[in-house]
Amino acid sequence: MIREIARKEFRELTRDGRFRLSAGIVGGLLLVASLAGFTAWREQAAQRDAAQNSMQALWFGQPAKNPHSAAHYGLWAFKPQLPLSFIDRGVDPYVGTASWLEAHRQNEFRFRPAMDATAAQRFGDWTAAAVLQHLVPLLIIVLAFGAFAGERERGTLRQLASLGVPTRALMTGKALGVAAALALLLIPVAVVGSALVLNAMGADGLLRLAAMTAVYLAYFGVVLGATLLVSAKARTARAALVVLLAAWAVNGIVAPRLAADVARMAHPTPTAREFTAEVQTALANGIDGHSPASARGKTLEDSLLKAYNVAKVEELPFNFNGFAMQRGEEHGNEVFDHYFDELWSTYAAQDRSQLLGAVASPLIAVRFLSMGIAGTDAAQHRAFATSAENYRRELNKKMNDAIAENAGAGQAFTYQADETLWRSLEPFTYEAPGLGSVWRTHLVSAVVLLLWMGLVAVLTRRSTSLAVV
Amino acid sequence: MATSSPLLSAEGLTKRYGDTLALDALDLSIAPGEVYCLLGANGAGKSTTINCFLDFVRPDGGVAKIGGQVVAQHPLETKKRLAYIPETVMLYGNLSGLENLEYFATLATGARPATEELVAHLITAGLRDDQIRQRVGGYSKGMRQKVGIAIALAKRADVLLLDEPTSGLDPKASNEFHRLLGLLRERGAAVLMATHDLFRAKESGTRIGIMKAGRKVAELRADEIGHADLEKLYLTHMHD
Ligand SMILES: Nc1ncnc2c1ncn2[C@@H]1O[C@H](COP(=O)(O)OP(=O)(O)OP(=O)(O)O)[C@@H](O)[C@H]1O
Ligand SMILES: [Mg+2]
Repeated sequence: MIREIARKEFRELTRDGRFRLSAGIVGGLLLVASLAGFTAWREQAAQRDAAQNSMQALWFGQPAKNPHSAAHYGLWAFKPQLPLSFIDRGVDPYVGTASWLEAHRQNEFRFRPAMDATAAQRFGDWTAAAVLQHLVPLLIIVLAFGAFAGERERGTLRQLASLGVPTRALMTGKALGVAAALALLLIPVAVVGSALVLNAMGADGLLRLAAMTAVYLAYFGVVLGATLLVSAKARTARAALVVLLAAWAVNGIVAPRLAADVARMAHPTPTAREFTAEVQTALANGIDGHSPASARGKTLEDSLLKAYNVAKVEELPFNFNGFAMQRGEEHGNEVFDHYFDELWSTYAAQDRSQLLGAVASPLIAVRFLSMGIAGTDAAQHRAFATSAENYRRELNKKMNDAIAENAGAGQAFTYQADETLWRSLEPFTYEAPGLGSVWRTHLVSAVVLLLWMGLVAVLTRRSTSLAVV
Repeated sequence: MATSSPLLSAEGLTKRYGDTLALDALDLSIAPGEVYCLLGANGAGKSTTINCFLDFVRPDGGVAKIGGQVVAQHPLETKKRLAYIPETVMLYGNLSGLENLEYFATLATGARPATEELVAHLITAGLRDDQIRQRVGGYSKGMRQKVGIAIALAKRADVLLLDEPTSGLDPKASNEFHRLLGLLRERGAAVLMATHDLFRAKESGTRIGIMKAGRKVAELRADEIGHADLEKLYLTHMHD
């Protein structure tokens, strides 16, 4: 019986010109967004590889020079982007994908397209995720708002209700019928997506694609179930549509904006200028604010002289400047750790409180999951930033240690090292966190999505009577 | 005057809409093989009675029973054996007559009947061969009512609830409809039909009830009375 209901719903939908038009538009947009996103991803990946290689060659190819100027010469670290980032670019356009690693400072990320884009460009930047998150739900609403309310209005619901069909069967059947019509549109896109991903990253990519598919299917299920529930209650199709469009706007625009604003108010972050100023002050005066660099230098010198029982730094068994520079670097690292940890924690707290908005908008949870699976969420940005920062520290330590160990007294800045030293630094590599860690990061979002599914399922099963007029 | 136990019965059926008493302790009893015609002015409560048997309306007092089962307590079971034909049978305009019948028949019986069987029902109901595969969007009112009859046939309904099924049909179509009704009655169906057509009530009804303001004010056998007397009786009741 449910099959028959689904079949009829499917048949009616696919015969309806409006369905064909709207599904065609959404399917076309999704396909174009995916293909364009994928092409851009592949070009960027190629550019990044080329840049990484030539930069590495430049580093190795440095002539004999002082290690400290090599540290200032520096290196770029590029964030490798998972192929799925072509579906959901997440925070990348805002936080950037490359970092300049040099002596003395932890830099902010560069290559933030959102910073250079005009408002129009930002709007035109339709990723597949935007289509999946906003347009497909709109399509579902357009397809299903009349499922019951329309039949009620046309009078066919009376005929249907006179047959003795359980409401639950009607609900399930209609849901399946609409789902089948949607599948007509989504399956080709999923096939193209799988082909692209498989071609780009093999089995792990498919696993991620499967996870992402599951998340979006759950989301569509919630939207479809809610649409049918509203349609079953509404007196007229028009009333159902008005309610559903309002809900669509709350889910997609109002609640996420509001949640983000509230989260920012609850956990304010400093502006870039304030942040840099704070870090600079702490670098100069120490985290406690009472140990200026000169005093720290003096203390270090005194303690070394005492420990080695010598009168002048020139008598130390290693180059004092090299040693002191590394100490300075370590102090800087402490400062960076302190301030960046604080910053990251604030961002994480913002994300957590944003999830409160998921009471009104399942999309908030879906967005976190989607970004996470695509490898473009804040947590994975942080993982990369941390890894790049560790590499920067390793680089600086290698350079400073080389000076401390090899430079003669007073020759810290005239001592020259050669390619052997440059080559002793392994090239930077970064392994993105696996899918398991993504689930751990976004456990709450996953639970929220499951709760939404449960809620809709329970309400659907509970609806036993349908008013026919 | 039921000869066997009634298929349809109302016992003290009462329904209130605000201050309006749409049904006022109505008693009815209709046995297999009977066509009970319910007459009465607009707003007398005929549709409300039928809606109570369909569980579209929950009575405030009394019960409606089908085959001895209380409708409000067994809404799904009691519907299994009934067919409902309102003034205009509402169908899916995007689907053909055959597809509509297939859908409703499958939902009603739980299994998809063979296409030949469905076609036979549509032909029996009076649709032409070339019409049954056309989309219902282009059907006339009479053609829609025929699909309604075909649904009743396919469902093998032995309870028919008809709410002014022939109002607006041309005389020939109306005649055909009532001929089919006679067919179903002969097969043992119990029919409850609300109508304003005194002539048809006398012709194809076995019993006639007259309602006024939610009450049954008269009940008689159709063969007890002539056309002229029926009209007189009806008007007398409407006047006071
Ligand atoms: N949903 C409703 N809300 C309020 N009042 C209603 C409703 N349905 C019916 N009524 C009232 O109940 C009374 C009986 O209505 P009903 O439709 O049963 O009459 P009827 O005999 O079928 O009339 P008609 O010949 O016009 O079809 C009327 O006074 C009507 O106004
Ligand atoms: Mg009526």
